[in-house]
Amino acid sequence: MKIFQVEGTLVATARISQLENRRLLVVRERGGGRQVAVDPVGCKEGDWVIAVGSSAAKDAAGHKDYPSDLTIVGIIDYWDESQPKAASPTTRVAT
Amino acid sequence: MMIQRVVRDLVTTKRVWGLHARKLRVVEDAKGNLDVAVDPVGAKVGDFVITIGYSAARIATGNPAVTTDLTIGGIIDNWSEEKWR
Repeated sequence: MKIFQVEGTLVATARISQLENRRLLVVRERGGGRQVAVDPVGCKEGDWVIAVGSSAAKDAAGHKDYPSDLTIVGIIDYWDESQPKAASPTTRVAT
Repeated sequence: MMIQRVVRDLVTTKRVWGLHARKLRVVEDAKGNLDVAVDPVGAKVGDFVITIGYSAARIATGNPAVTTDLTIGGIIDNWSEEKWR
């Protein structure tokens, strides 16, 4: 899985029927290029998400005959791009 | 899936059986690299399209027996040169 940031929704009215009416999002890989992903989760613009590629993308989009090569599988709760290797902030317990 | 633009039609009369009689288009990405995609949608030259790769490309043609690794999945309604580069 790879980490992407959501740039926005993509409207494509003329599409192949197998794509159904799924939401398509424009996503940008960390330090990489722009791609289009199927969104079965419901992401907002600016969200950091994880997405699966190749054949896992078909299953993740709903069924094994769905023609997707990139599907979002989760929204990252906390991601600080300035410190990508830092863990999520821990709750400090008052002593 | 990727955002690409249709550059031109491509005619190959002599082809492997696996490609059937599918229409082919030359598409380019934002950097200008060219690729060839099967087009089940009917995209015109200049259209911005979503292209599906890997094994999903075969399903996208409507017949998984078609031997392709890139298929056009749809024509994007609102996309511009500026957003693309």
